[in-house]
Amino acid sequence: MDLQIALLLGQDGITNGAIYALLSLALVLVFTVTRVIFIPQGEFVAFGALTLASFQAGKTPGTLWLLIGAGVAVALVDITLALRSGVFRRIPGIVGWNLAYPALASAIVFLLKPSEFPLLAQIVLALALVVPLGPMLYRLAFQPLAEASVLVLLIVAVAVHLALVGLGLLFFGAEGSRTPAFSDASFDLGLVNVNGQTLWVVGASLLLIVVLGVFFERTIYGKALRATAMNRTGARLMGISTVMAGKLSFLLAALIGAFSGILIAPITTIYYDTGFLIGLKGFVGAIVGGLASYPIAAAGAILVGLLEAFSSFWASAFKEVIVFTLIIPVLVWRSLTTRHVEEDE
Amino acid sequence: MRPRLLLAGFLGLLLIAPRVVSEFHVTLLNYIGLYAIVALGLVLLTGVGGLTSFGQAAFVGLGAYTTAYLSTAQNLPGWCVALGGSPWIGLLAGIVVTTLVAFVLGLLTLRLSGHYLPLGTIAWGISLYFLFGNLEFLGGHTGMSGIPALSLLGFELRESRSFYYVIWAVVLVAVWLTQNLLDSREGRAIRALKGGVVMAEAMGVDTARSKVAVFLIAALFASVSGWLYAHLQRFVNPTPFGLHIGIEYLFMAVVGGSAHVWGALVGAGVITILKQWLQDWLPRLLGASGNFEMIVFGVMMIFVLQRARDGLWPILTRFVPRRAAKRELPHGALLPKKAAPEFGEVLLEAKNVFKRFGGLVANNNMSLTVRAGEVMALIGPNGAGKSTMFNCVSGVDSATEGEVLFRGEVVSALNSREIARLGMSRTFQHVRLLPTMTVLENVAIGGHLRGSKGVLPAMLHLERGEEASLLAEAARQIVRVGLRDSMFELAGSLALGQQRTLEIARALCADPCLLLLDEPAAGLRYLEKEALAELLRKLRGEGMGILLVEHDMDFVMGLADRVVVMEFGEKIAEGLPEEVQCDPAVVEAYLGGVD
Amino acid sequence: MKLNKLVVAAAAAFGALGVQADITVGVTLSATGPAASLGIPEKNTIALLPSTMGGEKVNYIVLDDASDTTTAVKNVRKLISENKVDVIIGSTITPNSLAMIDVVAEAETPTISMAASARIVDPANPKTKWVFKTPQHDQHMATAIAAHMAGGGVKTVAFIGFNDAYGEGWYQEFTKYADTYKLKVVANERYGRADTSVTGQVLKIMAAKPDAVLIAGSGTPAAMPQVTLRERGYEGRFYQTHGVANNDFLRVGGKNVEGTYLPAGPMLVAAQLPDSNPIKKPSLVYISKYEAAYGKGSVATFGGHAWDAGLLLQNAVPAALKKAQPGTREFRAALRDSLEATKDLVGVHGVFNMSPADHLGFDQRARVMVRIDKGAWKLDK
Repeated sequence: MDLQIALLLGQDGITNGAIYALLSLALVLVFTVTRVIFIPQGEFVAFGALTLASFQAGKTPGTLWLLIGAGVAVALVDITLALRSGVFRRIPGIVGWNLAYPALASAIVFLLKPSEFPLLAQIVLALALVVPLGPMLYRLAFQPLAEASVLVLLIVAVAVHLALVGLGLLFFGAEGSRTPAFSDASFDLGLVNVNGQTLWVVGASLLLIVVLGVFFERTIYGKALRATAMNRTGARLMGISTVMAGKLSFLLAALIGAFSGILIAPITTIYYDTGFLIGLKGFVGAIVGGLASYPIAAAGAILVGLLEAFSSFWASAFKEVIVFTLIIPVLVWRSLTTRHVEEDE
Repeated sequence: MRPRLLLAGFLGLLLIAPRVVSEFHVTLLNYIGLYAIVALGLVLLTGVGGLTSFGQAAFVGLGAYTTAYLSTAQNLPGWCVALGGSPWIGLLAGIVVTTLVAFVLGLLTLRLSGHYLPLGTIAWGISLYFLFGNLEFLGGHTGMSGIPALSLLGFELRESRSFYYVIWAVVLVAVWLTQNLLDSREGRAIRALKGGVVMAEAMGVDTARSKVAVFLIAALFASVSGWLYAHLQRFVNPTPFGLHIGIEYLFMAVVGGSAHVWGALVGAGVITILKQWLQDWLPRLLGASGNFEMIVFGVMMIFVLQRARDGLWPILTRFVPRRAAKRELPHGALLPKKAAPEFGEVLLEAKNVFKRFGGLVANNNMSLTVRAGEVMALIGPNGAGKSTMFNCVSGVDSATEGEVLFRGEVVSALNSREIARLGMSRTFQHVRLLPTMTVLENVAIGGHLRGSKGVLPAMLHLERGEEASLLAEAARQIVRVGLRDSMFELAGSLALGQQRTLEIARALCADPCLLLLDEPAAGLRYLEKEALAELLRKLRGEGMGILLVEHDMDFVMGLADRVVVMEFGEKIAEGLPEEVQCDPAVVEAYLGGVD
Repeated sequence: MKLNKLVVAAAAAFGALGVQADITVGVTLSATGPAASLGIPEKNTIALLPSTMGGEKVNYIVLDDASDTTTAVKNVRKLISENKVDVIIGSTITPNSLAMIDVVAEAETPTISMAASARIVDPANPKTKWVFKTPQHDQHMATAIAAHMAGGGVKTVAFIGFNDAYGEGWYQEFTKYADTYKLKVVANERYGRADTSVTGQVLKIMAAKPDAVLIAGSGTPAAMPQVTLRERGYEGRFYQTHGVANNDFLRVGGKNVEGTYLPAGPMLVAAQLPDSNPIKKPSLVYISKYEAAYGKGSVATFGGHAWDAGLLLQNAVPAALKKAQPGTREFRAALRDSLEATKDLVGVHGVFNMSPADHLGFDQRARVMVRIDKGAWKLDK
């Protein structure tokens, strides 16, 4: 292996690692706020990318039906609750978000021609369809279980994952899709040729991380999320709604997931079931960060990306064996260097 | 009697099932049995022990591949040619291989705490899966065919109906072993792994060993299931041993009720049958096109878990009138006691103990002694460092500097388990007990070091004599502290004051010569306090040394022989109760200064 | 005693005469899971198979095995014991089909597999006696590629395939024939179907400087290494396997798969076949039926294997019906014999001439070399 190959592998590892890092951030966020290990995170990657690809192919993405269906379900549940408890003033809001919004989205998809939109508008529309699924999922699957044990929440997350993968196959078929690159530019940096989309991925990931940082540090919602993550009961006593925090964290997770998918769709092929493996690698990063630390999670995710790139060069058939075996010592090291309160369930 | 009848009914149904249900339903029952064995291991590991594993499918694979390889290989290397051919040797080899692999993996991954553990299991789960697929002698990804059928006493078990009995015999044996284990000294130690590690260690339980034990048992169950699978299927390839299937086993355990032995069977049954029904009925309901099974299955599971977050088994048992738990006092031979120290012997001596947390000095040059037959009280305002001192002395935490001697032996470097073995026993300021176990069982954990029988005798129930002695001893201590009426209730249902009293009984069950009590009177009513004081006096009279941390001044002053007062981590006074009470420094510490 | 026997005999006779039993065809295929892109067109095709054969009504029972061997075997046991099927079609992939052999042989139920490996039917023994298959063996396709490579002056080849049974099978077959054609395999790489990057493998291949690269994957995932190789500036020849023969591959591969060679069943280029080719007509019939049902451009060669299985049955059933009633052991045995006696049956992938030693029965007509040209499949002369 010479320097050039090492650099190329490094570039590849960092590109993939950047996506894993984004996902690991989302996983850490969701876990700290809701204690859910969000296995379906990867499905948002696939849904985001495949929805965009559907627009470009002039098809109606199945995620639209899912949005409508989930909206109706949430509306039914919430309106029933509102009627039962007599809080009628909540009804317009429920109808607006869960019925009117999907209706508006359908109107755009059916009346205008998304396949003729510029790329940016297509991306926005794809995000607009996929991202609201996050809070809707939280409402339907996780909110009723907010106080359950981590194990039960995990198993529910697995069930959601199964259902979403099934829906993905139904909506998008078994074959994959790629989308056109954001830019065809490529830059010659002496030894290595860096292509534009790689820069997009890394740049957009960094930007998103910074934006999230500002969001957590500067905005009232970000602070509310951090407060909930640190101390759920305390946050509730201070008037922060855990339901709001849960929905918000799922919204952000869905946004990060779908956006990641849209970022990598030009450099790889995305399938209905791609998400699980990508999500798993993000999960590795998140765990290396102890499901608590954002920077360590991101570093762990980049490490996974690099490990993967180099091991696929050395012994591609044993790539997963190498990556996951090497993860174990890292885990042992992390486990021994972090103080743990064993008694916490 | 009713539950026993139900069990008999269940066994009867199992026995005649192959004669009455259709061939395919026997096949389904076979698969349910195979899954249930793995799920049972997970109940032990995850539901009871609190160690979440996604990797059980890999152990199933180990069992399956070992027997597949040995029973089909044509040219084995010379030294193991004798192993070839027979499924039964495959079973033994599978057990050996799995034990070795699980032991190594366990050593590595069980060191992982918190969320690192599940990821660790995912990591080796995936590694083993791809290893199976890329090793040519294991048939690669394509798989190995031609595995012989199992034969028993000359009969070839080719038919589902005959294989059924083998599978379900294994299931029932596994259930029996698991239930035996949980109902034993080792079982209580395992049940303490989830949320009671600090307490269990302080009672002398080697929790690391218990973790390895459940991990090995769960792995072996999985491996045996794999052995059965290989000879039922007569073909192995890597797909049934991947991460997805590992997750599915966990799924079964949780849906069935992961804290319950029978939950494993319910979970395996419900999920297998539900999938079958969906495959049968969905195409008829929704038309042939599309693949809706997975979607509907996922949505249904979400509903089930929302309605039954502890799994289905607890819901099922609601319909069965609970057998009134055994109410009679347990009887058993007396356990041997350690030789008691002489009256007045110095039991505990802490010399110049410092404890620093970063820049914070929680204990600053603390010294104290406790003698046999005296009550030493450690008092001071909130945050004075009393509990930290307690933790340093009892080995729950280690002092940064200084020396702690117990009965003349330096114990500063020992952990709480080793200190407990020497005869020091303690209670906790924040009650640490296992709320889903009865008072009797909780107290019996205190006697852990007074038993010696290991996991294997426990699983086979060969330790009943020792177990009876332990329970009888626990019962004696419960009666002694006055909790007789609550002996068979769940510890979690007691009032806080009673829970503190339970902790004292548990500490006494260890046959200590020094008792460390952290705020035992908090939350007690007046009469209960009186009774507690009476008990402590009696213990003192028997020669026990007692170190007491307490806030209740009346309680302390009426009881203590000597008092040490702490403030800001330092000792500010020491002496007889009446002397200390008049000490100006003490008065200032408590009343915030009198000018 | 005598009376009893008489009654039984009468009842049997009435049963045989009175109720003309339907033929039941059990199908297990991988409509979900990793092999879904192959299983779905097969499933779609089953719905197009005729509802009567030899004048008898045919019932199809289609089960999904989720690309999982355990489920495949469970499905087979169900089809045999619950549904009393006369014949089984399936499964989609090699491991599943191998796992089914024991069960179908014990139940003496003829089975037509739609998976590629020759191991499913070879060597002929009392178990494989019951198993037939419709897709070309990997070795047919591998020799075609090796011959084409040698003919094109290729000396060194790099191999990259799925990290599963498909990639593994192809590597074994291809290396077997590479020597014969004086080809040197200079790299052997694997990748996962859903991997997001194959840069590592591609760099290794580029470093080996092969004249040609053979990619053994199925469906759209097979495009990934090729796209990456092209982006990295690889100039040599590309070969794909017949696993990619659907239009989604062309869609995802785009300009990067131009000029790729692959062996395929003739139906892929049916319209371009000379009229003299017997396969042309049935292929066009199948394609038009499929596209009428599922939309233009939706057809894939994998569905053709299911269609061929249907053709085999249509051809074999009448002879078997003469010997026994559907639903009986005798009928299954007769159907098996009849399948084994298939002669000159023209399918969409080739012409079947079965024998006890050959349960596929294809010859050279079952494969053509195809080149991807301007985003379409072109018959390579």
